[in-house]
Amino acid sequence: MAPLESLDIELSEKHIETVGKFVADIRNNKLSGSEQIAEATLTLVEKIISESNATARELCGVLRAAARRISSSLPLELVAINMIRRVLRAIRDENRASVDQFQSGEGVGESLQGLVLATPARHSIVPSTDQDLREPIRDHIAELRTELETMRSSITSQAREHVRADEVLLTFGASALVERFLRPTQNRNCKVVVAEGTDVGESHAMARRLSNSGVSVTVINSSCVFAVMSRVNKVVVEVQAAMGGGAVLGDAGLHSVTLAAKYYKIPVVALAPLYRMLPHHLYDPQNFGSLSSPLQTMEYADCGSDSLQVLAPKFDFVPPDHITLFITNQGGSCPSYIYRLLSEIYDPKDYQI
Amino acid sequence: MKMEMDKENIVQAVVIMDTFNSNFSPLTDNKPMGFLEVAGVPLIDYVLESLALGGVGEAILFCCQNGQKIKEHVQKHQDNKSLWSLTMDIQILMSDTCQTMGDVMRELDAAALLKGYFVLAGINSITNMNFASLLEQHKQTCKKDKGTAMTLVYKKLSWEHPLISSDRSTFLAANENTKKVLVHKRYRPKSKEKIISLPLDLVLNNSEVKLHHNLVDTNIALCSPTVPPLFSDNFDFQTRDDFIHGILINEEILASSLYYTLLKSNQYAAAITNWKTYQTVCRDILHKWVYPLSIESGLYSRDKYTLTGNLNFVENSAMLSRSCVLTENTLIGAKTQVQDNTTVTKSIIGKKCTIGNNVIINGSHIMNNVIIKDNCRISNSFIDDNCVISEGSNLHAGTIIAENVKVESGSDLKGRIECSIDNDKKLQKSESSGTEWEESSGSSDEEFIGFDKVWSDSESCYSSISSADSSLPDSPVPDDTKMFLQEVIDSLARGYDEKLKCDYLILEINSSRYAYNIQLNEVNFFVVRALLSMPVLSEAKNVLTTVKDILKYFRPVLANYIKSKSSIMDCLRAVEDTCLNCEWLDGKSGQILHLLYEADVVDEDSLVDWYAELKENANPFVKQPSLVKFFEWLQEASEESDDSE
Repeated sequence: MAPLESLDIELSEKHIETVGKFVADIRNNKLSGSEQIAEATLTLVEKIISESNATARELCGVLRAAARRISSSLPLELVAINMIRRVLRAIRDENRASVDQFQSGEGVGESLQGLVLATPARHSIVPSTDQDLREPIRDHIAELRTELETMRSSITSQAREHVRADEVLLTFGASALVERFLRPTQNRNCKVVVAEGTDVGESHAMARRLSNSGVSVTVINSSCVFAVMSRVNKVVVEVQAAMGGGAVLGDAGLHSVTLAAKYYKIPVVALAPLYRMLPHHLYDPQNFGSLSSPLQTMEYADCGSDSLQVLAPKFDFVPPDHITLFITNQGGSCPSYIYRLLSEIYDPKDYQI
Repeated sequence: MKMEMDKENIVQAVVIMDTFNSNFSPLTDNKPMGFLEVAGVPLIDYVLESLALGGVGEAILFCCQNGQKIKEHVQKHQDNKSLWSLTMDIQILMSDTCQTMGDVMRELDAAALLKGYFVLAGINSITNMNFASLLEQHKQTCKKDKGTAMTLVYKKLSWEHPLISSDRSTFLAANENTKKVLVHKRYRPKSKEKIISLPLDLVLNNSEVKLHHNLVDTNIALCSPTVPPLFSDNFDFQTRDDFIHGILINEEILASSLYYTLLKSNQYAAAITNWKTYQTVCRDILHKWVYPLSIESGLYSRDKYTLTGNLNFVENSAMLSRSCVLTENTLIGAKTQVQDNTTVTKSIIGKKCTIGNNVIINGSHIMNNVIIKDNCRISNSFIDDNCVISEGSNLHAGTIIAENVKVESGSDLKGRIECSIDNDKKLQKSESSGTEWEESSGSSDEEFIGFDKVWSDSESCYSSISSADSSLPDSPVPDDTKMFLQEVIDSLARGYDEKLKCDYLILEINSSRYAYNIQLNEVNFFVVRALLSMPVLSEAKNVLTTVKDILKYFRPVLANYIKSKSSIMDCLRAVEDTCLNCEWLDGKSGQILHLLYEADVVDEDSLVDWYAELKENANPFVKQPSLVKFFEWLQEASEESDDSE
């Protein structure tokens, strides 16, 4: 068992209530959209931190307990857990720094030898420095906030590097991020093909907005993606989660699009903000194969027959070899590099909450 | 001060925890309706969660029986910090005296707990609608029309949908522009009525009228503060339908009006009114149509079930044998064991059950702690908590097994209700042979509440069996009922002479009913009897044409009372009674029945059933030549129609 996990704290009554309110807000759709949820998670974490003891072990324990509780009640809400993982990383880093400072002046980690020798010490039970970590953690949370705020612009500003003049770009379904990403193409004489996603109305609305802003847009049915694909230069999609091995969870129907792209050897660019990085390597059908309401695909009125089953999966799993490039707010990275990115933003001990 | 401001904006909801009918008897005899499990979750959990999700801030649960159990249940959830308990306040009211929904509303009016507009829901409504926004919409309607009392919430479905075809369907005529309800009618299931008559005013006064026939009543209404007082002022409002009809008839007098709203296509709502709708709703929950309500409602954690192909949900702690087969649409609850070579199809199995080897379960609902031993065949059945089904039993065609029953090995049950009576009695039974079971359940054969049965009128609290007991034709008519009969005859005769509107007559009859404290099934009986013993008839030269005229004129009155199968039986008993007692109808019973049949008051099935019952009791009435002739004719007619098909 990893050292900091040894402190398995149960949430106190008060925290259960705060976490419960957060979960209720998400379930009641008071919070919607991953950005908003990420923001709210930070607020929640701040609240929990300010009400807990200050030592690193306790903070980690409380946050992990909160994350467990959230993930058990909202197994499909990946963003909130990812944000907590990032705060946990900050706490652990902060703790490590203060311990290093506390232990020795001889500069652990300054030479290669020092690093190697210091590793066992890092993994042994961290002496709780009793130092109030809350202030530095608050700074970290503020940093994460700014990162969230600039997330869109830092992703969309990379559009210039990926979209050339006179290209035909295909996107699947409606996504605010993709819309922002494609909007600057108006000056480059690009053509955008929008394939209808599960929510046809949303897709149409996005196409209309894009075309109003001066982009030439064609809307196609998702069933003719394969036929159109040969003429496309690039596929741009937003993903629900980028997983450890470079695989992707996307909106239902994405797999068929990327499959067509792979057949025609068309590059697929996946837009993935950092909070969508999921430190799992395996596709776990128990968690991600769940179904959402079929009402979004079909009206209930006609479905009286007992023998009719309407399945509306929430996610589609896309294997790593279908994705050419991920664009995160830290720049582009290829699928095989995602694991590295993960170990940069999360602590490996928190992969499993 | 701020708290008070907030309180004004809180959405209040009233949930009536009883349905005031016996459609789910004997399961709901000892436990509240709210504890009936639908797809493994008690109804009350669905309702509370849907209220919380729909933005309700304060829920008032009104219990007419078993209030304490509900209180404990809610308390347990609040201690466990269920999600709804964080955003919603719960108040539990109890009253043992309330017998109908009208009583509940009067009680609420007296308690003055409702501060403003509120949502009125039944414990049997399952929905994912947004109550808050609908209530806001209702408030907007109220701004336009000060007299708005209620907005009814309907879900539009296709005509063949089981939710419509297996329940009393609704016909609605409304002003298209304002959504104001103008005509509201209920049909009994599979009604053969072909003609709908609409008043001419309807078309003259409204520029555009929309007629709806494919609506599902969700049992949810949005109410103005005027609704509880309206119930208090009109003591004859017993059910919501009474209220609706009362308001529509006396719109001017009561200065109130009704509106309706249809749910959006991405929202689901249904009411569980009988076993058929129960099955349909179960299936819809498994198929996630009611998302975000699901089989995990009421629980905090949402990762307990594993979905294996073809919509089979298995709880993580359930133990399935390697060789058992889950075909499709199944739900296996926590800690349930399913052993070798067992096949489960389209069924729901609750918690802590043990299913033996080589069992075949198909289309059934099995609650908690049930033990099913080897080699059983169970199809289309319902088995309640703590039952034991012994080896080699065969349950099929709508068998309902109540709590704590032990079914003998090798028994073959078909379309029956089994329930244990007392503990000591049960002991005796297990010793004696299976015949005693047959005797004890013989009385319920007639009632046959299987999955395939056409249901009794959902608002009537009296099953057909009790009506047979209370209105035996031979028993001397008590004074009160005699006076009631006389009064009804007077009302009808006056109505016929002065050509009064039938709606007023219904009101008159209803008020005499309360004055003499007559039960509903007796009212059905006496109304038909009164129609056939009107003074006009005794003087008439051609009795049959007069009867025909009378039936034609009083068609709406009959339609109001004779709706369900049990009331049709009441009606037929009344015909029998009158034909025996009144000399002017002597020997004309066959013709009278023919007239009733042509007027669509009685249907063929009930006639045949009634005739069979008469034969069984060796009633002298059976031998009347006209009656024999009529039934010969009926049989021929039905054979002919079969042939032509």
